[in-house]
Amino acid sequence: MAEASSNRSASAVFAKMFTIFSTLIYNGWLIREFARSLPPCPPPLVDRTMIKTTWPLLGISLLLSLLAPRLAKSDEWDFNRDIRPILSGKCISCHGPDEEHRGGGLRLDREASAKEPREGVAAIVAGNLDSSELISRITATDPDFRMPPAEAGKELKPEEIEKLKQWIAAGARWSEHWAYQRPERHADPAVENEGWCDSWIDPFVLSKLERAGIQPADDADRVTLLRRLCFDLTGLPPTATQTTAFLQDTSPDALSRLVEELLASPRHGERMAMYWLDLVRYADTVGYHGDQDHNISPYRDWVIAAFNENLPFDQFTRAQLAGDLLPDANVDTLIASGYNRLLQTTHEGGLQPKEYLAIYAADRVRNVSAVWMGATMGCAQCHTHKYDPYTLRDFYSMVAFFADLDEAQHFKVGGNSLPTNRPPEVFVLTKQEREAYRNLTGQLETLRQELDRVLAGTAPYREQLDKEIADIQKQLGELAGKRRKTMVSSAIAPREIRILPRGNWQDDSGEVVLPAIPEFLGALTPGQTRATRLDLARWLVDAEHGAGLLTARVMVNRLWSLMFGRGLADLSDFGGQGSPPTHPELLDRLALEFVESGWDIKHMLRSLALTHAYRLSSVPTPEQLQRDPDNHLWGRQNRFRLPAEMVRDNSLAISGLLVESHGGPSARPYQPAGYYRHLNFPTREYVADGDHSQWRRGVYVHWQRQFLHPMLKAFDAPSREECTAERPRSNTPLAALALLNDPSFVEAARGFAQRILALEETADVARLKFAFHETLSRQPEELESRVLAKTLAEQRAFYASQPQAAEELLSIGLLKLPENVDRVELASWTQVARVLLNLNETITRN
Amino acid sequence: MNTTQAHAEEHICQQMRRRAFLNRSGIGLGSAALGSLFGADASRAWGQESPSGMVAGLPGLPHLPPRVKRVIFLCMAGGPSHLETFDYKPKLEEISGQPMPESYTAGQPIAQLQGQELRAQGPLTKFRQYGEGGLYISDYFPWHAKMANEICVIKSLQTEQINHDPAHTFMNTGTALSGRPSMGSWITYGLGVETNQLPGFVVMTSVGGRNPQPIASRQWSAGFLPSKFQGVEFNSTGDPVNYVSPPRGVPLPQQQQIIEAIGTLDRHRLEQVRNPELETRISAYEMAFKMQMSVPDLMDVSDEPKHVLEMYGATPGDGSYASNCLLARRLAERGVRFIHLYHRGWDHHGGLEKYMQICSDLTDRPTYALVTDLKQRGMLDDTLIIWGGEFGRTPMFQGKGGVGRDHHIKGFSMWMAGGGIRGGTSYGNTDELGYYAVENPVHVRDLHATMLHLLGIDHTRFSYPYQGLDSRLTGVLPSRVVKEIIA
Repeated sequence: MAEASSNRSASAVFAKMFTIFSTLIYNGWLIREFARSLPPCPPPLVDRTMIKTTWPLLGISLLLSLLAPRLAKSDEWDFNRDIRPILSGKCISCHGPDEEHRGGGLRLDREASAKEPREGVAAIVAGNLDSSELISRITATDPDFRMPPAEAGKELKPEEIEKLKQWIAAGARWSEHWAYQRPERHADPAVENEGWCDSWIDPFVLSKLERAGIQPADDADRVTLLRRLCFDLTGLPPTATQTTAFLQDTSPDALSRLVEELLASPRHGERMAMYWLDLVRYADTVGYHGDQDHNISPYRDWVIAAFNENLPFDQFTRAQLAGDLLPDANVDTLIASGYNRLLQTTHEGGLQPKEYLAIYAADRVRNVSAVWMGATMGCAQCHTHKYDPYTLRDFYSMVAFFADLDEAQHFKVGGNSLPTNRPPEVFVLTKQEREAYRNLTGQLETLRQELDRVLAGTAPYREQLDKEIADIQKQLGELAGKRRKTMVSSAIAPREIRILPRGNWQDDSGEVVLPAIPEFLGALTPGQTRATRLDLARWLVDAEHGAGLLTARVMVNRLWSLMFGRGLADLSDFGGQGSPPTHPELLDRLALEFVESGWDIKHMLRSLALTHAYRLSSVPTPEQLQRDPDNHLWGRQNRFRLPAEMVRDNSLAISGLLVESHGGPSARPYQPAGYYRHLNFPTREYVADGDHSQWRRGVYVHWQRQFLHPMLKAFDAPSREECTAERPRSNTPLAALALLNDPSFVEAARGFAQRILALEETADVARLKFAFHETLSRQPEELESRVLAKTLAEQRAFYASQPQAAEELLSIGLLKLPENVDRVELASWTQVARVLLNLNETITRN
Repeated sequence: MNTTQAHAEEHICQQMRRRAFLNRSGIGLGSAALGSLFGADASRAWGQESPSGMVAGLPGLPHLPPRVKRVIFLCMAGGPSHLETFDYKPKLEEISGQPMPESYTAGQPIAQLQGQELRAQGPLTKFRQYGEGGLYISDYFPWHAKMANEICVIKSLQTEQINHDPAHTFMNTGTALSGRPSMGSWITYGLGVETNQLPGFVVMTSVGGRNPQPIASRQWSAGFLPSKFQGVEFNSTGDPVNYVSPPRGVPLPQQQQIIEAIGTLDRHRLEQVRNPELETRISAYEMAFKMQMSVPDLMDVSDEPKHVLEMYGATPGDGSYASNCLLARRLAERGVRFIHLYHRGWDHHGGLEKYMQICSDLTDRPTYALVTDLKQRGMLDDTLIIWGGEFGRTPMFQGKGGVGRDHHIKGFSMWMAGGGIRGGTSYGNTDELGYYAVENPVHVRDLHATMLHLLGIDHTRFSYPYQGLDSRLTGVLPSRVVKEIIA
């Protein structure tokens, strides 16, 4: 509310006149609109909140309230859910934390400022619409007076004005931004249908459904549930054996045993890493300019192992941010500290080092704040955040935590080799390899002692010993050869960090700052010494004195999204502009549970998997489609296309080609020739793997930031230049083309066809049934069988007449053809398999 | 990218789909009703594929009567020297070889010449004036000279990024930060696509000149906009579009049988699970199939008369800039909204004379042919052509293998032609040494604002919610439509 101030009181009088006048007009309009829009059935739930009203402003309003079918109580106004989004979206860019652009000195992001009388007038006067300047201004008809000003392009919708009015009339109850409130231990909500609830989580879901009068969906059938769990927890479809076992197991704990089995699978860590690597922007190349490879794959393997071992999330955090500084630092935490090196870098000729150090610093703050705090602190690089309480100083104080990282070396020594040099780097073995090494060394020692004892002994025995020793030495040599270089963090004397006015790296006029957490969140007390990355990491997971509960909320929200397809709250932005949680009490309880469980990720996933809400069908009921089309109430499960890597993994698994081995250098699947032709320094020829690596999981695929594998890209995998907390899920012709024609999928179809033809069963009907069941874990319906049989007949006719075409199709991929296979048959079944692998149901998690 | 930050429009579009779905499906969905689901007319909500597969623009757009329908952006990647193309500086010639006055260079960003002695380097070629407006054009560009009446040279461009990769990102997205949409994505998002056979935003590249700088696919990324607006790269060898050709041994009719079977099974499933996403997916497969025919058809220029091929100097399938210019015209004819050509070879740190000649030989005539061809077909009036690099080059000498110039961002030249542009004129000026844009500077943001304006878009009202902000191509800092160059 920009204000010219001198004739303020006069304008206030006018404002009041306008209020009365415009309210009359406005309410008249509203009633007409309302009557016109009366739906034939109860309006959708989300709309209902718009028309709750209990206050008698004017007679006309009363009339309106009588028209409203269901009235909510005034104390049901939830500031964070109902009001803050309006203020944030329409007002706070000018009336918020950003001092420089603040209109009339008024802040609407803080209760005190919003309600404070200024020269006798307050923006918000609880319970009094007439005295609330805010209402006068947002309803004013005089364009000079009306807020938001037209040029801002942020016009309030009638229903938003109505909400603000009703909220003020009801007492204008304010609450701190939800994300920065300490989570409370809300009591389990009372529900009518207690029997529906499987776990303490369910009442939080059910109570809201009951209040809205919406029935939850039926339970998903067991096949759907099994597939859902397998995809969610391991990223792979169930095997036929798993399916049969689960369907036959009628014991009450069948489900929980399945969940345990999946959580214990080594595939679980790969699935979780897939998501984590998006957050921390893990990639195999530097990103800028020449986009050379860099050494970092051991970090990826560490993440996978950490999830498999269920490393508590607080330790997981400290290792990544400060694994080099921990008192008990070891090889693993050092590998983990590679997190700080994951950002995009360049050594382009003619770069200005000072500029890039500033770019790197900003990159790190954007990522740390996004990953752990759900914050968009990047906005504060140039100016104080417009919506959230992060200042320019906060931003550069965060930068200062990372001022000790030894990062500038590569400007000089980077070089255009593949991989490039980005010291500090170390040679490492993975944890498993190190264990193997230790075992072998132990064995070697035993054998040598043995050898000593029999030195004078008989020749044959000695020969055997020598052979064993040589064998172990060979294995040790091979293991040593598996050592990989990886970038790590290493602390040097911190460089000076200044506030960069407007983010301008050439401007040295800003104040020098020391490491500090954002001011509104408190302060670290590191004593005499400068705070370090380790202090920051500890603070992020310190639930008592630090931001731990915020971090916990951010993380459990993301775990929820892995199990339900969407977050309870916005996955990227816990700030004022993000969508607030649909179930804030539940989010609180989950956050507390996470901390109290010892930051136990598997515990949280298990808890979510064993709710009734998780087991629901994802097919909406007609009532839900009408009243909760977007499933804000979680009255059903969500369904969505599998993430890119899982689309790949799923096809490989069905085809029987999938190679389940852990870790190692990144894999290079087939890729269109010339796809890297725009890369230079050096120019690049992509060489696809010529061995089993070809069939490894998506999480291991070489991640070229500038030219991500076109299949992954078509299915919305991000380039990992920035933090991605939620991938888009698009359905484009390019994705269809990839799934149809990418040689990886064509080869998978052939592998699948080879499996089908290897069956003892030779009848088409039986083979089609098998193929269908392998793909979708269910029996085909009559129509489905018919369509597939028709396809088979068509393709047979064609390939019988064109055997050369069959040869061509079967020559795609590395996979060996079985001896004496009927080529026409195999080609025809490959075509059928392509149909199955391309079905929407095949790549959908239901 | 984040979807919860609402993708407000995507949401609306989903709602529309749901509504359409419900309206048509009722409670039970018979196969007769299902048929109409794919054949029947539907209102064209934004982002929704109409039954014909076209994507409509945003409601309320265009804001203004558009002057052009499409853009062809000819990016001379590497950064051509303005001092050997369109910006004639006799004074620079006078002081050639002398130290560059420090008043120009002190405290300025410098790329490869950091820490070196800075000497002035006079123009390495001759300039003449051409056309009614007396445009200065260097001897390297005889074919440009012939179209001097068509082009408007802006001599006062400014950018903020001095290294190639971020400078391209800045030119394309208005910021050096990763993850933002390219202008082609913005424009197809805003105005939709007028073809159901091809993507709305197409990219093609060619090489020739000095050591070609890399170009990242980020340059045609849809950033935080829905993926369907990303630029699609057309290749001159191999598959014209990645994966567009059916596998070996699967001719089109057999591929069609496969796609039909997928469609039938997906539709059957749709009946049972009421999943509106399925509709989108089915239409994606239909479009994919169309592309398997339309893309090869587009790339096959055998139907072009000989004189047209000669005018461009194009040898079909050679992947040259000339071939790409010809394909650009064919794309324009087929309703593609934004056509982005990159020619990589303009990074003339050394050997400038030699490499300028190579670049000119490869691009001068085809560019002329494209403008002329469009004009002859009456299409120049509704096409905007933009020519230029990600930055210009220093008035200072650099000697990396012969005389050359370093990157320069404080003043350089680009040109525009086509609908609404005052041909035969120039706008703005650099100082007498060609360093700063001193007269009517045009920032990259202004270039974007002007381009959007010609397309009928008010850049101040064209935004997308991202990370809590209404993000715009032109960002938050002031920018203006350069009305002076518009007829």
